[in-house]
Amino acid sequence: MTIIETPNGSITVVALNGALDASTAPELQKSPAINNASQTVVIDLEHVNFLDSSGLGALVGTLRKKRDMSAETLLSCMNDRIGQVFEITNAYRLFHIFDDTSAAVDYATKLIARK
Amino acid sequence: MNSIITLTLPSDIIFTRFASQTAERAALLLLNSCNADPGNWQFIHAFELAVSEAFSNAVTNAEQLAPLQPVIINFIFEHQRLTVTVRDTNQQFSTDTPTPDIDSYPDKGYGLLLMRTVMDTVTCIREDGANILSMSKQL
Repeated sequence: MTIIETPNGSITVVALNGALDASTAPELQKSPAINNASQTVVIDLEHVNFLDSSGLGALVGTLRKKRDMSAETLLSCMNDRIGQVFEITNAYRLFHIFDDTSAAVDYATKLIARK
Repeated sequence: MNSIITLTLPSDIIFTRFASQTAERAALLLLNSCNADPGNWQFIHAFELAVSEAFSNAVTNAEQLAPLQPVIINFIFEHQRLTVTVRDTNQQFSTDTPTPDIDSYPDKGYGLLLMRTVMDTVTCIREDGANILSMSKQL
């Protein structure tokens, strides 16, 4: 899996490419913007071709860690296969999810401005 | 089509994607052999997901108990049905794990829920000191 972090104002877009499973989830957790609990991130899933429970766990763990520091974790560009994992586990309830990354960045910017 | 393909993998988490992609191809093979729609992503994804969960679970348990023992995966093709068995020699595996409460933000424990939801049947038996997890789905 490749991870590309792109700062966008006070937000960092984290674009993932590949499978997010038990073998790659630790890489995500170590990436600087994810590891920095006070950094708001938009995680772009457009090029994630597979996600299992370990990948979902990494996303939920990121969300929990950042919430504790009043930062946000938003998701964008989720395909049907990833969406199925979110539906089964009810993880939809936890995240702000957007069809495109720019809309997620705009929303995150507004959330930060309110704080 | 009645046949079995056996995959023997080292008990190492780096082979997780190899296992899940092999499951994906096995599901596609069944679709093709039945002249079914090869674009049936739900059927293909079900096996990709379930095998990823089963393999990574077997490896994670093996890290503590039996790290040198391989994980053996059988793909059993029957008429319009694909069954996958995952055999490991770890401590007894329980399928009675409770469903995690998403509102408490758990970062693990979703695997069995996913397997049970996407497969028709999921069973686990103990045989000759091994766990044999069996997952099956009909077209």
